Amino acid sequence: MIVLRNVTKIYPKGVEALSNIDLCIGKEEFVFIVGPTGSGKSTLLKLLYREETATNGQVILDRVNLSEMKAPQIPFLRRNIGVVFQDYKLLPNRTIYENVAFALQVMGASRSFIRRHAGQALDLVGLLKKANCFPGQLSGGEQQRACIARAIVNNPPLVLADEPTGNLDPSTSWEIIHLLDKINKRNTTVIVTTHNKSIVDGMRKRVIALESGRIIRDQQLGVYSNVL
Amino acid sequence: MSFEFFFRESWTGFRRSGIMSAVSLVTITVSLVVLGAFLLAVVNMGNIASIIGSKMEIAAYVDKNIDDSTAAAISLQISQVESVENVKFISKEEAWNNFRSDYEGRLALSEIISENPLPNTFIVKVKTPQAIAAVAKKISNMSVIDEVRYSGNLADRFQAVLDLVRISGFVLVALLIIATLLIVINTIKLTVIARQTDIYIMRLVGATNSFIKWPFILEGVLIGLIGAALSFIILKFSYDLVVHELNGFMPFVPLVTSGYKLFWIYVSVGAIGVVLGMLGAYISVNSLLKGE
Repeated sequence: MIVLRNVTKIYPKGVEALSNIDLCIGKEEFVFIVGPTGSGKSTLLKLLYREETATNGQVILDRVNLSEMKAPQIPFLRRNIGVVFQDYKLLPNRTIYENVAFALQVMGASRSFIRRHAGQALDLVGLLKKANCFPGQLSGGEQQRACIARAIVNNPPLVLADEPTGNLDPSTSWEIIHLLDKINKRNTTVIVTTHNKSIVDGMRKRVIALESGRIIRDQQLGVYSNVL
Repeated sequence: MSFEFFFRESWTGFRRSGIMSAVSLVTITVSLVVLGAFLLAVVNMGNIASIIGSKMEIAAYVDKNIDDSTAAAISLQISQVESVENVKFISKEEAWNNFRSDYEGRLALSEIISENPLPNTFIVKVKTPQAIAAVAKKISNMSVIDEVRYSGNLADRFQAVLDLVRISGFVLVALLIIATLLIVINTIKLTVIARQTDIYIMRLVGATNSFIKWPFILEGVLIGLIGAALSFIILKFSYDLVVHELNGFMPFVPLVTSGYKLFWIYVSVGAIGVVLGMLGAYISVNSLLKGE
């Protein structure tokens, strides 16, 4: 599903975020990308939802080379990718329901379609009762669940989560990871960047470790660090 | 659904950019009022010019007092000039009496003017408009005549003034339109900047560029529409007031009061407002949301 061939990303100021990355992620996999801050984890995700383009090499998603993708096609790519952020990126002046529905409105979905699917997504993340609350009225964990509901509301085949537990306490972090695992089991590919050791070690999923923009380890049923 | 969504988005944007929206609104309203006032002035002046130009009469004035037989002799002399249809004599006293009765009650003339300032007048009707200039020249050459006036040259002079008003008005309106456009562009720019996060999230969930742009363009249209409505109210109220006042004070000035002409002036002023709002927003949004 996802293939990166010899991908290098150099930012305009000359910072090399990724260098010569070769990577293959199959359909319905659950992958952790780990590494210290600045190792290139977020850049890797940004290449996948075409927030950034590779300086060199190919980023291929479902046989489409994203580097060659024209600007007008990008919205249609993103409708097939759900993105979850550390800071949730919810619209503060809209209710949770409206935030989730927004992703469908953008696609021009009908009102009844929106109502049904937004309701299902909120139910899946356990927020149906708080649908009419505003983001500011919810806890961090609840906001993150709302963000996940928005990401999955149109059933995208791929969900990218960039440090989804970065702002959360350990038990809430586990809730979020279990939610992402549940989404993965509904035939969705899930890629999570994190530096939460206990979660990575506890989940025993595929782990790709980055350091200074290079892959230093790619391990099935992996752990956060091989040191020790 | 979509239109309702877009409209709600634009209204929110309009309210959120508060002061800047108000500034745009005031500017666009002022521009439209000036534009409308200018159009009304031009239409009225054109109207006056055409009424003046359509009269085929020459007025010949004799300042000194003359008796009836002298007047009859002068009338005869004038009527012998080629192309003259007829001549009518209005004496100093008659003119003064007419004038006084016209303005009876409205102006206290006797307090302002103590003696009759009006000349003896020969009203000369000419057979064809083309002959007016030649006839007027011949009459003015008569030694007894002090001054000759005819609507032809008055109309010409009036037309020259009208052209000047048109050109200077055009420049003024063009400058105002450019200023308004720039202010609308800036207002929408501020709205767009204030909503960067919204736009980022919209893009993230797969909104197309046109989907993102529409609410902003509608916001521009909204500014234009409200400005057009305000300027209509101001223009209509002031014009009606001016017509009412002038009719009392100078009833001989033929002002345009026909609904049809006025309707089109108001409609075009409104349309310009809406187009300005839309164009400003379009330029602004396109320059900010370039590319992706």
